[in-house]
Amino acid sequence: MAVVDRGASGQGSSLSEIVNDERYRSVFYQILVFAVVMWAGWYLFTNTAHNLEARGMSAGFGFLQSTAGFSISFSIIPYEAGDSYLWVYLVGITNTLLLSFVSIVATTILGFIIGVLRLSKNWLVAQLASWYVEILRNTPLLLQILFWYLAVFAILPRPKQSFDVLGLGLFELNNRGFYFPAPVPGEFFGATMLTLLAAVIAAYVVAVWAKKRQNATGERFPAFWTGIGIVVGAPLLVFLVTGSPLEWDIPELKGFNFRGGASVPPAFCAVFIALVIYHACYIAEMVRAGILSVSHGQTEASYSLGLKPGLTLRLVIIPQAMRAIVPPLISNWMNVVKNSSLAIAVGFPDLVAVFMQTSLNQSGHAIEIVAMVMLFYMTVSLTISGALNYYNKLVQLKER
Amino acid sequence: MANLDASSSDVTFKPKPSLPPPPNTVGAVGWVRKNLFSSPLNAFLTLLSLYVIWVLVSNVFDWAILNAVWEAETRRECLDKVGLSGACWAGVSHWMKNFIYGRYPDTDVWRINLGFGTLILWMAPFWFPRVTGKIAIGASAILISPFLLGYLFAGGEKGLFLQLMISIAITSFIFSWLHVLVCLGTGNTLRNVIVSMTGFAAKPDSAQKYPVIGLFVALAVVVFALQAGWQLEEQNTNLWGGLFVTLVISGIGIAVSLPAGIVLALGRRSKMPIIRVFCVAFIELFRSVPLITVLFMAVTMVPLFLPEAINPVKIVQAIIAVCIFSSAYMAETVRGGLQAIPKGQYEAAQALGLSYWKMMTLIVMPQALKLMIPNIVGSFIGLLKDTTLVSIVGLYDLLLMLKAVSQNPQWNGIHTEPLFFGAMLYFVLCFIMSKYSQHLERTLGAGQVRK
Repeated sequence: MAVVDRGASGQGSSLSEIVNDERYRSVFYQILVFAVVMWAGWYLFTNTAHNLEARGMSAGFGFLQSTAGFSISFSIIPYEAGDSYLWVYLVGITNTLLLSFVSIVATTILGFIIGVLRLSKNWLVAQLASWYVEILRNTPLLLQILFWYLAVFAILPRPKQSFDVLGLGLFELNNRGFYFPAPVPGEFFGATMLTLLAAVIAAYVVAVWAKKRQNATGERFPAFWTGIGIVVGAPLLVFLVTGSPLEWDIPELKGFNFRGGASVPPAFCAVFIALVIYHACYIAEMVRAGILSVSHGQTEASYSLGLKPGLTLRLVIIPQAMRAIVPPLISNWMNVVKNSSLAIAVGFPDLVAVFMQTSLNQSGHAIEIVAMVMLFYMTVSLTISGALNYYNKLVQLKER
Repeated sequence: MANLDASSSDVTFKPKPSLPPPPNTVGAVGWVRKNLFSSPLNAFLTLLSLYVIWVLVSNVFDWAILNAVWEAETRRECLDKVGLSGACWAGVSHWMKNFIYGRYPDTDVWRINLGFGTLILWMAPFWFPRVTGKIAIGASAILISPFLLGYLFAGGEKGLFLQLMISIAITSFIFSWLHVLVCLGTGNTLRNVIVSMTGFAAKPDSAQKYPVIGLFVALAVVVFALQAGWQLEEQNTNLWGGLFVTLVISGIGIAVSLPAGIVLALGRRSKMPIIRVFCVAFIELFRSVPLITVLFMAVTMVPLFLPEAINPVKIVQAIIAVCIFSSAYMAETVRGGLQAIPKGQYEAAQALGLSYWKMMTLIVMPQALKLMIPNIVGSFIGLLKDTTLVSIVGLYDLLLMLKAVSQNPQWNGIHTEPLFFGAMLYFVLCFIMSKYSQHLERTLGAGQVRK
């Protein structure tokens, strides 16, 4: 009996020890959370399996090989109504990437301009830029897209009365879309492209060599202008020598519509303009904050070292401002990619529209399709954040 | 030498009074010269900006006010009068009721007004500086009011649980306001007044809570008896729409995302690997995909995930999606705030022997939340704007209502006016929120500024 008693009391104290021990507690909480999550997953899985069975549907990616019976109004890679769902997925991805890419380039340029204007010493210009930011960033993007589409691009004139952008007869805007000349490379155009590639490498080598020489001897070499000269001059020379092997296919009005050239639909223009104008606000704010983050003492110090204003800007201010600007800038690019999915609202066939809406409605494979679309966006996101981390490592302050 | 002589004598140096600044560097003229015309480039930019402002303002003014038609029955009438050169505001004013309440029946619109009015009154004590116990009032407004408001909006049969919660909600509302009135009138708290009136003042502290609880329960029983016979007609959620739905979805999104975001952020910074992995996976998954895919996921997959008997209505699916999405974003906002708290604060709390939750609720969170206010309000503004996406899955929120006007035969093709009106409405809402957050930042951060 005594043994049992002692065992019981001993157990009691060791039990309270176990209960109050942080390590055991944390193990217990983790097991609890894990069990709850697993149970929830199992619950959802069994429900889904049951529901799928009740609807007579099968799970799996086999449907990707079957033909999609619908047409897509715009695609960069060739697509016909009989192609497979997998091809639809690729069409959607390329359309999304095209829209995102051109929007990112344009929005970055516009954002930098507005950000610099906000810091202008001219009161009126600064006010104008700040009201641009305030008004556009406090209005929903989707509303802006609809506004551009319904109030501007959907009521454009017919091709016969098209609006001639720039007045050169090259860029035409009408209710079928925006028409612009398309380059048609000739026989030897590949040579020019190869030269361009070689020239970029050469310019990089020159820049590295110039920096090394300056570090060693202190002598400066105009690497920037030499680089520009190589990159522009060499391909131009090859281009002219091979007999200008590049023609432009210019859109021309034939009958009721334009023939030739390349075009994007009005929905593309509406989403593009709305994305650029909306995201430029955010980039402008980042640029402004980044420039303000470099203290004026840096400029003064650089002047007192004898650097000229241009060099001060290039060697002292911009590198430090970029350290503050680039991380939020890149996450803003990610937002452009994500927000390009709003193109669905005006009928531009991006990934979400062709795959998550049309294909999902036709094939009914909700889980697989949702997973594939999310996988694409996650891949883009992880790629971008990987690049961001690499950049951060490159430019972060080297502290002792 | 001459200087020395001068200083040795009794002549004192008297400076002449300084001249006034040149007239063109002070006053309005000086300001204009300095800020607008300091250089040829600036002068050019000023003129260019003036031109841009003139073009924008005059065109918008002509269209929206000068040539606008305010009274008309159909769009045809507007077009006959001014064509496309003026806005047809008649279309907007005819649809104003739908923009705000959706297709909710006219006879029952008072329920929505009453619901939002109650909520505003419930929150109002936050702006009275003399009121104490704001956290309890705020918690009751967020946790208990949804039952009352939800019933006001939806109506229908009341189960026993709902009856109980409605009674508690009404009682807490009455109690909060009694407390507020006592605070404003006497500077005392309701608790102390009740305790002294019932003669419990001499009793020990632990016994003093009984009369308060007793009074609450008694009042709740009375309210319960009164509300038993009260029933509202059921209003299908299909009829909900307009600004009402926008505010319901974003309101629930805000109320859920803040606590959920705090929990997720704490989980992400936790030392327990399994909890951390789950939190990181959740946050990163939903932050890396667009909201529209989460909405589609909710609409297509929630019916698959749930047992066949449960068939959630679309607005619930949308709310689930919005809550999941905004929680993931809020978690990152909160994490930013937590990271800004110096490690010394954690260590000091641990050195005092505080447990994890006490450390978080008493030391870390109050400081972190104060730092995060601009970002939290920024997330709320983003959420309000993102709510427009529910229109893509077919919920008649404000945006889809604005778009629907043009499908009406009478107002066929009227796009610009309703969208312009909606843009102004959203702008006012978001702008007020952002200005208020700046104000909060200044008042709450007063202790942070070094003088």
